[in-house]
Amino acid sequence: MDIKIDKTLDCKGLSCPMPILKLAKEMKGMDGGQVLELLGTDPGSKGDIPGWCEKTGNEFLGLEEEEGVSKFYIRKA
Amino acid sequence: MGEKESGAWRQLWATFFSKTWPVWVGGILLAFLNVTLFLVKSPWGGSGTYINWGENFYKATGLFGISGGVKPVFSHLYGLLGLLTLLGAFAGALFGREFAIRIPPAGEMFKGFLGGVLMALGATLGIGCTIGGFLSGWAALSGGGIVLAVGFMIGTYIALRYLIWEMEHLPKMSMGKTYTFLAAKSTSGNWQPVFGVLLTVALIAGSAVYYKNDNVFSMFALIGLLMGIILQRSRFCIVRAFREPFMTGESEAPVGVMAALVVGIIGFTVIKYMGVGTSTPGAARALAMTWVYPHFWLRALIGGTIFGLGMTVAGGCAVGTLWRAGEGHVKLWLAAIGFLLFAPIAKKFIVPGFSHMLPEWAKQKLFLPDKFGYGGAVLIFLVLIALWYAFVKWNEKTGKFSAV
Repeated sequence: MDIKIDKTLDCKGLSCPMPILKLAKEMKGMDGGQVLELLGTDPGSKGDIPGWCEKTGNEFLGLEEEEGVSKFYIRKA
Repeated sequence: MGEKESGAWRQLWATFFSKTWPVWVGGILLAFLNVTLFLVKSPWGGSGTYINWGENFYKATGLFGISGGVKPVFSHLYGLLGLLTLLGAFAGALFGREFAIRIPPAGEMFKGFLGGVLMALGATLGIGCTIGGFLSGWAALSGGGIVLAVGFMIGTYIALRYLIWEMEHLPKMSMGKTYTFLAAKSTSGNWQPVFGVLLTVALIAGSAVYYKNDNVFSMFALIGLLMGIILQRSRFCIVRAFREPFMTGESEAPVGVMAALVVGIIGFTVIKYMGVGTSTPGAARALAMTWVYPHFWLRALIGGTIFGLGMTVAGGCAVGTLWRAGEGHVKLWLAAIGFLLFAPIAKKFIVPGFSHMLPEWAKQKLFLPDKFGYGGAVLIFLVLIALWYAFVKWNEKTGKFSAV
Protein backbone atom coordinates (compact mmCIF):
# COMPACT_ATOMS: atom_id res chain seq x y z
CA MET A 1 0.00 0.00 0.00
CA ASP A 2 1.42 3.34 -1.04
CA ILE A 3 1.18 5.25 2.23
CA LYS A 4 3.63 6.39 4.85
CA ILE A 5 3.46 4.11 7.88
CA ASP A 6 4.22 5.77 11.20
CA LYS A 7 4.02 2.75 13.44
CA THR A 8 3.70 -1.04 13.16
CA LEU A 9 1.87 -3.14 15.74
CA ASP A 10 2.60 -6.87 15.72
CA CYS A 11 -0.47 -8.91 16.70
CA LYS A 12 0.53 -12.12 14.92
CA GLY A 13 -0.52 -15.26 16.79
CA LEU A 14 -3.00 -13.35 18.97
CA SER A 15 -6.70 -14.19 19.05
CA CYS A 16 -9.79 -12.15 19.92
CA PRO A 17 -9.97 -9.81 21.87
CA MET A 18 -6.23 -9.10 22.15
CA PRO A 19 -5.70 -7.44 18.71
CA ILE A 20 -8.51 -4.91 19.34
CA LEU A 21 -7.35 -4.15 22.90
CA LYS A 22 -3.78 -3.62 21.66
CA LEU A 23 -4.97 -1.50 18.75
CA ALA A 24 -7.05 0.73 21.02
CA LYS A 25 -4.12 1.22 23.39
CA GLU A 26 -1.63 1.92 20.59
CA MET A 27 -3.89 4.46 18.89
CA LYS A 28 -4.18 6.45 22.13
CA GLY A 29 -0.48 7.24 21.90
CA MET A 30 -0.58 8.41 18.26
CA ASP A 31 -1.24 11.82 16.74
CA GLY A 32 -4.15 12.66 14.44
CA GLY A 33 -3.33 11.84 10.79
CA GLN A 34 -0.69 9.22 11.66
CA VAL A 35 -1.00 5.77 10.10
CA LEU A 36 -0.75 2.50 12.01
CA GLU A 37 0.01 -0.83 10.37
CA LEU A 38 -1.34 -3.82 12.31
CA LEU A 39 -0.06 -7.32 11.50
CA GLY A 40 -2.46 -10.09 12.46
CA THR A 41 -3.33 -13.75 11.86
CA ASP A 42 -6.79 -14.02 13.48
CA PRO A 43 -9.49 -14.32 10.77
CA GLY A 44 -11.89 -12.50 13.12
CA SER A 45 -9.83 -9.32 12.84
CA LYS A 46 -11.00 -8.83 9.24
CA GLY A 47 -14.43 -7.87 10.55
CA ASP A 48 -13.41 -6.51 13.94
CA ILE A 49 -10.86 -3.90 12.89
CA PRO A 50 -12.92 -2.10 10.21
CA GLY A 51 -15.88 -2.25 12.62
CA TRP A 52 -13.85 -0.71 15.44
CA CYS A 53 -12.59 2.04 13.13
CA GLU A 54 -16.10 2.90 12.03
CA LYS A 55 -17.27 3.08 15.62
CA THR A 56 -14.38 5.17 16.88
CA GLY A 57 -14.22 7.49 13.85
CA ASN A 58 -10.73 6.41 12.80
CA GLU A 59 -10.20 5.81 9.10
CA PHE A 60 -9.75 2.24 7.90
CA LEU A 61 -7.48 2.54 4.86
CA GLY A 62 -7.43 -1.08 3.78
CA LEU A 63 -6.18 -4.61 4.21
CA GLU A 64 -3.42 -6.49 2.43
CA GLU A 65 -2.76 -10.19 2.72
CA GLU A 66 0.70 -11.56 2.37
CA GLU A 67 1.98 -15.05 3.12
CA GLY A 68 -0.79 -15.81 5.61
CA VAL A 69 -0.45 -12.49 7.48
CA SER A 70 -3.13 -9.77 7.26
CA LYS A 71 -1.85 -6.19 7.26
CA PHE A 72 -4.40 -3.58 8.34
CA TYR A 73 -3.86 0.15 7.77
CA ILE A 74 -5.59 2.64 10.04
CA ARG A 75 -5.33 6.45 10.04
CA LYS A 76 -5.96 8.11 13.39
CA ALA A 77 -8.74 10.67 13.28
CA MET B 1 -22.61 -24.05 -21.17
CA GLY B 2 -20.10 -26.08 -19.17
CA GLU B 3 -18.26 -22.93 -18.16
CA LYS B 4 -21.48 -21.20 -17.16
CA GLU B 5 -22.38 -24.11 -14.91
CA SER B 6 -19.03 -24.16 -13.15
CA GLY B 7 -19.44 -20.41 -12.63
CA ALA B 8 -22.77 -20.96 -10.91
CA TRP B 9 -21.32 -23.62 -8.56
CA ARG B 10 -18.37 -21.41 -7.83
CA GLN B 11 -20.78 -18.63 -6.92
CA LEU B 12 -22.68 -20.92 -4.59
CA TRP B 13 -19.42 -21.91 -2.89
CA ALA B 14 -18.36 -18.26 -2.58
CA THR B 15 -21.76 -17.33 -1.10
CA PHE B 16 -21.19 -19.71 1.79
CA PHE B 17 -17.45 -19.84 2.23
CA SER B 18 -15.64 -16.77 0.93
CA LYS B 19 -17.08 -14.40 3.53
CA THR B 20 -18.06 -14.60 7.18
CA TRP B 21 -21.80 -15.07 7.78
CA PRO B 22 -23.76 -12.54 9.82
CA VAL B 23 -23.75 -13.71 13.45
CA TRP B 24 -27.57 -13.73 13.65
CA VAL B 25 -27.73 -16.19 10.72
CA GLY B 26 -25.45 -18.48 12.73
CA GLY B 27 -27.60 -17.92 15.82
CA ILE B 28 -30.83 -18.93 14.09
CA LEU B 29 -29.28 -22.00 12.46
CA LEU B 30 -27.61 -23.14 15.69
CA ALA B 31 -30.86 -22.73 17.62
CA PHE B 32 -32.70 -24.75 14.96
CA LEU B 33 -30.12 -27.52 15.34
CA ASN B 34 -30.38 -27.25 19.14
CA VAL B 35 -34.14 -27.83 18.89
CA THR B 36 -33.41 -30.77 16.57
CA LEU B 37 -31.00 -32.24 19.14
CA PHE B 38 -33.77 -31.97 21.76
CA LEU B 39 -36.18 -33.78 19.41
CA VAL B 40 -33.58 -36.49 18.76
CA LYS B 41 -32.65 -36.99 22.42
CA SER B 42 -31.42 -34.05 24.53
CA PRO B 43 -30.40 -30.41 23.95
CA TRP B 44 -27.07 -28.79 23.20
CA GLY B 45 -24.45 -28.48 25.92
CA GLY B 46 -20.75 -27.66 26.04
CA SER B 47 -19.15 -28.67 29.32
CA GLY B 48 -20.28 -32.32 29.14
CA THR B 49 -17.87 -32.74 26.25
CA TYR B 50 -14.85 -31.69 28.29
CA ILE B 51 -15.88 -33.73 31.34
CA ASN B 52 -16.14 -36.81 29.12
CA TRP B 53 -12.82 -36.18 27.37
CA GLY B 54 -11.08 -35.50 30.68
CA GLU B 55 -12.52 -38.61 32.33
CA ASN B 56 -11.25 -40.67 29.41
CA PHE B 57 -7.80 -39.13 29.86
CA TYR B 58 -7.77 -40.03 33.58
CA LYS B 59 -9.13 -43.49 32.89
CA ALA B 60 -6.36 -44.13 30.36
CA THR B 61 -3.62 -42.80 32.67
CA GLY B 62 -5.05 -44.23 35.91
CA LEU B 63 -4.63 -40.88 37.68
CA PHE B 64 -6.82 -39.73 40.60
CA GLY B 65 -8.83 -42.95 40.54
CA ILE B 66 -11.29 -41.55 37.96
CA SER B 67 -12.41 -44.57 35.97
CA GLY B 68 -15.79 -45.87 37.18
CA GLY B 69 -18.65 -45.44 34.72
CA VAL B 70 -16.58 -43.53 32.17
CA LYS B 71 -17.96 -43.94 28.66
CA PRO B 72 -15.57 -43.89 25.67
CA VAL B 73 -15.82 -40.67 23.61
CA PHE B 74 -17.59 -42.48 20.75
CA SER B 75 -20.20 -43.90 23.13
CA HIS B 76 -20.95 -40.61 24.92
CA LEU B 77 -23.39 -38.26 23.16
CA TYR B 78 -21.65 -35.05 24.25
CA GLY B 79 -18.12 -36.43 23.96
CA LEU B 80 -19.04 -37.20 20.35
CA LEU B 81 -20.99 -33.98 19.68
CA GLY B 82 -18.05 -31.82 20.83
CA LEU B 83 -15.52 -33.83 18.84
CA LEU B 84 -17.55 -33.45 15.65
CA THR B 85 -18.07 -29.73 16.42
CA LEU B 86 -14.31 -29.29 16.65
CA LEU B 87 -13.76 -31.20 13.39
CA GLY B 88 -16.64 -29.33 11.71
CA ALA B 89 -15.04 -26.01 12.65
CA PHE B 90 -11.75 -27.31 11.25
CA ALA B 91 -13.57 -28.12 7.99
CA GLY B 92 -15.33 -24.72 8.00
CA ALA B 93 -12.01 -22.93 8.41
CA LEU B 94 -10.53 -25.00 5.57
CA PHE B 95 -13.51 -24.14 3.30
CA GLY B 96 -12.83 -20.44 3.84
CA ARG B 97 -9.02 -20.87 3.58
CA GLU B 98 -8.80 -19.59 7.15
CA PHE B 99 -7.08 -22.50 8.85
CA ALA B 100 -3.57 -22.04 10.26
CA ILE B 101 -1.80 -23.26 13.35
CA ARG B 102 -1.28 -20.02 15.26
CA ILE B 103 1.12 -20.20 18.20
CA PRO B 104 0.82 -17.11 20.42
CA PRO B 105 3.33 -15.75 22.95
CA ALA B 106 3.87 -17.94 26.05
CA GLY B 107 1.86 -15.58 28.29
CA GLU B 108 -1.19 -16.00 26.05
CA MET B 109 -0.88 -19.79 26.18
CA PHE B 110 -0.80 -19.58 29.98
CA LYS B 111 -3.95 -17.42 29.92
CA GLY B 112 -5.63 -19.98 27.66
CA PHE B 113 -4.85 -22.81 30.09
CA LEU B 114 -5.88 -20.79 33.15
CA GLY B 115 -9.12 -19.73 31.44
CA GLY B 116 -9.87 -23.39 30.69
CA VAL B 117 -9.30 -24.36 34.35
CA LEU B 118 -11.61 -21.56 35.53
CA MET B 119 -14.30 -22.59 33.02
CA ALA B 120 -14.04 -26.19 34.31
CA LEU B 121 -14.49 -24.97 37.87
CA GLY B 122 -17.36 -22.60 36.99
CA ALA B 123 -19.22 -25.14 34.84
CA THR B 124 -19.05 -27.91 37.45
CA LEU B 125 -19.81 -25.69 40.47
CA GLY B 126 -22.59 -23.79 38.72
CA ILE B 127 -23.92 -26.75 36.69
CA GLY B 128 -23.84 -25.67 33.10
CA CYS B 129 -21.91 -23.40 30.82
CA THR B 130 -22.91 -20.71 28.34
CA ILE B 131 -24.54 -23.31 26.10
CA GLY B 132 -26.19 -25.92 28.37
CA GLY B 133 -27.01 -23.55 31.21
CA PHE B 134 -27.68 -20.35 29.28
CA LEU B 135 -28.51 -20.81 25.58
CA SER B 136 -30.34 -24.09 26.18
CA GLY B 137 -31.23 -23.06 29.75
CA TRP B 138 -33.24 -20.02 28.65
CA ALA B 139 -34.85 -22.10 25.90
CA ALA B 140 -35.74 -24.65 28.61
CA LEU B 141 -37.44 -21.80 30.57
CA SER B 142 -35.12 -22.39 33.53
CA GLY B 143 -34.90 -19.69 36.20
CA GLY B 144 -31.34 -20.77 37.00
CA GLY B 145 -30.38 -19.82 33.43
CA ILE B 146 -31.24 -16.18 34.17
CA VAL B 147 -29.00 -16.11 37.25
CA LEU B 148 -26.24 -17.87 35.32
CA ALA B 149 -26.34 -15.04 32.75
CA VAL B 150 -25.96 -12.47 35.53
CA GLY B 151 -22.91 -14.41 36.75
CA PHE B 152 -21.41 -14.47 33.23
CA MET B 153 -21.89 -10.73 33.00
CA ILE B 154 -20.14 -10.09 36.34
CA GLY B 155 -17.26 -12.48 35.54
CA THR B 156 -16.82 -11.13 32.03
CA TYR B 157 -16.76 -7.54 33.27
CA ILE B 158 -14.11 -8.26 35.93
CA ALA B 159 -11.93 -10.27 33.51
CA LEU B 160 -12.17 -7.58 30.83
CA ARG B 161 -11.01 -4.96 33.37
CA TYR B 162 -8.10 -7.31 34.13
CA LEU B 163 -7.21 -7.62 30.41
CA ILE B 164 -7.20 -3.82 30.04
CA TRP B 165 -5.06 -3.51 33.19
CA GLU B 166 -2.73 -6.18 31.82
CA MET B 167 -2.23 -4.14 28.61
CA GLU B 168 -0.89 -1.27 30.71
CA HIS B 169 1.00 -3.05 33.44
CA LEU B 170 2.00 -6.47 32.09
CA PRO B 171 2.30 -5.88 28.32
CA LYS B 172 4.80 -8.74 28.05
CA MET B 173 1.98 -11.26 28.64
CA SER B 174 0.86 -10.75 25.04
CA MET B 175 4.28 -10.12 23.51
CA GLY B 176 7.01 -12.47 22.39
CA LYS B 177 7.79 -15.03 19.74
CA THR B 178 4.86 -16.25 17.68
CA TYR B 179 4.62 -18.79 14.89
CA THR B 180 2.08 -19.48 12.15
CA PHE B 181 2.05 -22.72 10.20
CA LEU B 182 0.05 -24.02 7.23
CA ALA B 183 -1.65 -20.69 6.47
CA ALA B 184 -3.21 -20.50 3.00
CA LYS B 185 -1.16 -18.28 0.73
CA SER B 186 -2.50 -16.55 -2.33
CA THR B 187 -0.51 -18.84 -4.60
CA SER B 188 -0.86 -22.15 -2.77
CA GLY B 189 -3.94 -22.13 -0.58
CA ASN B 190 -6.29 -24.28 -2.65
CA TRP B 191 -5.35 -27.40 -0.72
CA GLN B 192 -7.46 -26.09 2.16
CA PRO B 193 -10.95 -26.22 0.58
CA VAL B 194 -10.11 -29.49 -1.19
CA PHE B 195 -8.95 -31.06 2.08
CA GLY B 196 -11.99 -29.58 3.86
CA VAL B 197 -14.41 -31.26 1.44
CA LEU B 198 -12.58 -34.61 1.68
CA LEU B 199 -12.63 -34.37 5.49
CA THR B 200 -16.36 -33.57 5.58
CA VAL B 201 -17.23 -36.45 3.27
CA ALA B 202 -15.02 -38.80 5.33
CA LEU B 203 -16.67 -37.69 8.61
CA ILE B 204 -20.21 -38.14 7.25
CA ALA B 205 -19.37 -41.55 5.73
CA GLY B 206 -17.44 -42.64 8.84
CA SER B 207 -20.32 -41.69 11.17
CA ALA B 208 -22.88 -43.40 8.93
CA VAL B 209 -20.91 -46.65 8.94
CA TYR B 210 -19.84 -46.57 12.61
CA TYR B 211 -23.33 -45.74 13.91
CA LYS B 212 -25.35 -47.66 11.31
CA ASN B 213 -27.36 -49.31 14.10
CA ASP B 214 -27.76 -46.22 16.25
CA ASN B 215 -29.83 -43.36 14.87
CA VAL B 216 -29.37 -41.12 17.91
CA PHE B 217 -25.59 -41.23 17.75
CA SER B 218 -25.49 -40.79 13.97
CA MET B 219 -27.76 -37.73 14.26
CA PHE B 220 -25.60 -36.25 17.02
CA ALA B 221 -22.51 -36.80 14.84
CA LEU B 222 -24.11 -35.10 11.84
CA ILE B 223 -25.53 -32.19 13.87
CA GLY B 224 -22.19 -31.72 15.68
CA LEU B 225 -20.43 -31.48 12.32
CA LEU B 226 -22.95 -28.93 11.01
CA MET B 227 -22.74 -26.92 14.23
CA GLY B 228 -18.95 -26.75 13.93
CA ILE B 229 -19.17 -25.46 10.36
CA ILE B 230 -21.87 -22.90 11.28
CA LEU B 231 -20.04 -21.72 14.42
CA GLN B 232 -16.83 -21.14 12.51
CA ARG B 233 -18.42 -19.49 9.48
CA SER B 234 -20.55 -17.11 11.57
CA ARG B 235 -17.95 -16.68 14.36
CA PHE B 236 -20.83 -17.15 16.82
CA CYS B 237 -19.37 -16.26 20.19
CA ILE B 238 -21.06 -15.97 23.57
CA VAL B 239 -18.01 -14.36 25.19
CA ARG B 240 -18.36 -11.52 22.72
CA ALA B 241 -22.06 -11.22 23.44
CA PHE B 242 -21.31 -10.58 27.12
CA ARG B 243 -18.02 -8.73 26.68
CA GLU B 244 -18.57 -6.42 23.73
CA PRO B 245 -21.02 -4.00 25.39
CA PHE B 246 -18.26 -3.33 27.95
CA MET B 247 -15.47 -3.28 25.35
CA THR B 248 -16.14 -1.85 21.88
CA GLY B 249 -19.90 -1.46 22.31
CA GLU B 250 -20.71 -3.27 19.03
CA SER B 251 -24.02 -5.09 19.05
CA GLU B 252 -23.64 -7.76 16.34
CA ALA B 253 -22.53 -10.55 18.67
CA PRO B 254 -25.19 -9.93 21.35
CA VAL B 255 -27.93 -9.67 18.71
CA GLY B 256 -26.77 -12.99 17.20
CA VAL B 257 -27.12 -14.64 20.60
CA MET B 258 -30.55 -13.04 21.11
CA ALA B 259 -31.68 -14.52 17.77
CA ALA B 260 -30.56 -17.95 18.98
CA LEU B 261 -32.39 -17.48 22.29
CA VAL B 262 -35.70 -16.50 20.64
CA VAL B 263 -35.67 -19.43 18.18
CA GLY B 264 -34.60 -21.82 20.95
CA ILE B 265 -37.36 -20.63 23.30
CA ILE B 266 -40.02 -21.16 20.61
CA GLY B 267 -38.78 -24.66 19.72
CA PHE B 268 -38.21 -25.90 23.28
CA THR B 269 -41.53 -24.49 24.48
CA VAL B 270 -43.44 -26.33 21.75
CA ILE B 271 -41.67 -29.60 22.61
CA LYS B 272 -42.22 -29.21 26.36
CA TYR B 273 -45.79 -27.87 26.20
CA MET B 274 -46.92 -30.58 23.78
CA GLY B 275 -44.92 -33.29 25.57
CA VAL B 276 -43.62 -34.37 22.15
CA GLY B 277 -42.85 -38.10 22.05
CA THR B 278 -44.25 -38.87 25.52
CA SER B 279 -47.32 -40.95 26.37
CA THR B 280 -47.56 -40.73 30.17
CA PRO B 281 -47.84 -37.68 32.46
CA GLY B 282 -44.63 -38.77 34.23
CA ALA B 283 -42.68 -38.84 30.99
CA ALA B 284 -44.17 -35.49 29.94
CA ARG B 285 -43.08 -33.97 33.27
CA ALA B 286 -39.54 -35.38 32.88
CA LEU B 287 -39.42 -33.90 29.37
CA ALA B 288 -40.62 -30.51 30.66
CA MET B 289 -37.87 -30.52 33.31
CA THR B 290 -35.14 -31.22 30.73
CA TRP B 291 -32.14 -28.86 31.17
CA VAL B 292 -33.68 -27.28 34.28
CA TYR B 293 -30.82 -27.68 36.75
CA PRO B 294 -30.81 -27.47 40.56
CA HIS B 295 -28.76 -24.26 40.71
CA PHE B 296 -31.23 -21.42 41.35
CA TRP B 297 -29.92 -19.06 42.46
CA LEU B 298 -26.69 -18.75 44.46
CA ARG B 299 -25.13 -21.86 42.97
CA ALA B 300 -25.65 -20.54 39.42
CA LEU B 301 -24.39 -17.09 40.42
CA ILE B 302 -21.12 -18.42 41.87
CA GLY B 303 -20.49 -20.87 39.01
CA GLY B 304 -21.51 -18.36 36.34
CA THR B 305 -19.18 -15.68 37.69
CA ILE B 306 -16.20 -18.05 37.74
CA PHE B 307 -17.09 -19.33 34.25
CA GLY B 308 -17.38 -15.74 33.00
CA LEU B 309 -13.89 -14.95 34.30
CA GLY B 310 -12.47 -18.06 32.60
CA MET B 311 -14.13 -17.64 29.21
CA THR B 312 -13.02 -14.00 28.95
CA VAL B 313 -9.40 -14.72 29.89
CA ALA B 314 -9.33 -17.67 27.45
CA GLY B 315 -11.18 -15.79 24.67
CA GLY B 316 -13.79 -18.51 24.13
CA CYS B 317 -16.53 -20.28 26.12
CA ALA B 318 -16.82 -24.10 26.11
CA VAL B 319 -18.07 -24.15 22.52
CA GLY B 320 -16.21 -20.99 21.39
CA THR B 321 -13.05 -22.77 22.52
CA LEU B 322 -13.95 -25.81 20.40
CA TRP B 323 -14.48 -23.91 17.17
CA ARG B 324 -11.45 -21.66 17.61
CA ALA B 325 -9.34 -24.73 18.44
CA GLY B 326 -10.58 -26.20 15.15
CA GLU B 327 -9.53 -23.01 13.36
CA GLY B 328 -6.00 -23.54 14.70
CA HIS B 329 -5.59 -21.11 17.62
CA VAL B 330 -3.13 -22.82 19.98
CA LYS B 331 -4.22 -20.57 22.87
CA LEU B 332 -7.64 -22.24 22.67
CA TRP B 333 -6.03 -25.70 22.43
CA LEU B 334 -4.54 -24.89 25.83
CA ALA B 335 -7.95 -23.68 27.06
CA ALA B 336 -9.50 -26.98 25.97
CA ILE B 337 -6.72 -28.94 27.71
CA GLY B 338 -7.11 -26.90 30.91
CA PHE B 339 -10.89 -27.44 30.80
CA LEU B 340 -10.76 -31.18 30.19
CA LEU B 341 -7.96 -31.82 32.70
CA PHE B 342 -9.61 -29.89 35.51
CA ALA B 343 -13.33 -30.63 35.00
CA PRO B 344 -13.24 -34.27 36.21
CA ILE B 345 -11.09 -33.27 39.21
CA ALA B 346 -13.48 -30.47 40.17
CA LYS B 347 -16.45 -32.80 39.67
CA LYS B 348 -14.97 -35.51 41.90
CA PHE B 349 -13.13 -33.58 44.62
CA ILE B 350 -14.61 -30.06 44.86
CA VAL B 351 -18.27 -30.15 43.77
CA PRO B 352 -19.60 -32.69 46.36
CA GLY B 353 -18.27 -30.65 49.32
CA PHE B 354 -19.40 -27.37 47.73
CA SER B 355 -22.88 -28.65 47.04
CA HIS B 356 -23.15 -30.09 50.57
CA MET B 357 -22.16 -26.73 52.04
CA LEU B 358 -24.87 -24.79 50.15
CA PRO B 359 -28.29 -24.49 51.80
CA GLU B 360 -31.32 -25.83 49.92
CA TRP B 361 -32.55 -22.36 48.88
CA ALA B 362 -29.28 -21.80 47.00
CA LYS B 363 -29.70 -24.79 44.66
CA GLN B 364 -33.33 -25.05 43.59
CA LYS B 365 -34.70 -26.36 40.31
CA LEU B 366 -36.84 -23.48 39.08
CA PHE B 367 -39.00 -24.21 36.05
CA LEU B 368 -40.68 -20.86 35.39
CA PRO B 369 -43.92 -22.29 33.86
CA ASP B 370 -44.61 -23.89 37.28
CA LYS B 371 -44.96 -20.36 38.69
CA PHE B 372 -46.20 -18.29 35.77
CA GLY B 373 -47.59 -20.78 33.25
CA TYR B 374 -45.97 -21.33 29.84
CA GLY B 375 -47.24 -18.02 28.47
CA GLY B 376 -45.96 -16.05 31.45
CA ALA B 377 -42.58 -17.80 31.40
CA VAL B 378 -42.06 -17.17 27.69
CA LEU B 379 -43.09 -13.55 28.18
CA ILE B 380 -40.54 -13.11 30.99
CA PHE B 381 -37.73 -14.35 28.74
CA LEU B 382 -38.87 -12.25 25.77
CA VAL B 383 -38.99 -9.15 27.98
CA LEU B 384 -35.48 -9.90 29.31
CA ILE B 385 -34.20 -10.26 25.73
CA ALA B 386 -35.92 -7.02 24.71
CA LEU B 387 -34.35 -5.18 27.69
CA TRP B 388 -30.94 -6.61 26.87
CA TYR B 389 -31.39 -5.52 23.24
CA ALA B 390 -32.42 -2.00 24.30
CA PHE B 391 -29.37 -1.74 26.58
CA VAL B 392 -26.96 -3.02 23.93
CA LYS B 393 -28.26 -0.67 21.21
CA TRP B 394 -28.38 2.32 23.55
CA ASN B 395 -24.83 1.60 24.69
CA GLU B 396 -23.66 1.12 21.09
CA LYS B 397 -24.87 4.64 20.35
CA THR B 398 -23.71 6.36 23.52
CA GLY B 399 -20.65 4.26 24.44
CA LYS B 400 -21.56 4.76 28.12
CA PHE B 401 -20.28 1.35 29.21
CA SER B 402 -17.66 0.75 26.49
CA ALA B 403 -14.01 0.83 27.48
CA VAL B 404 -12.26 0.96 24.08
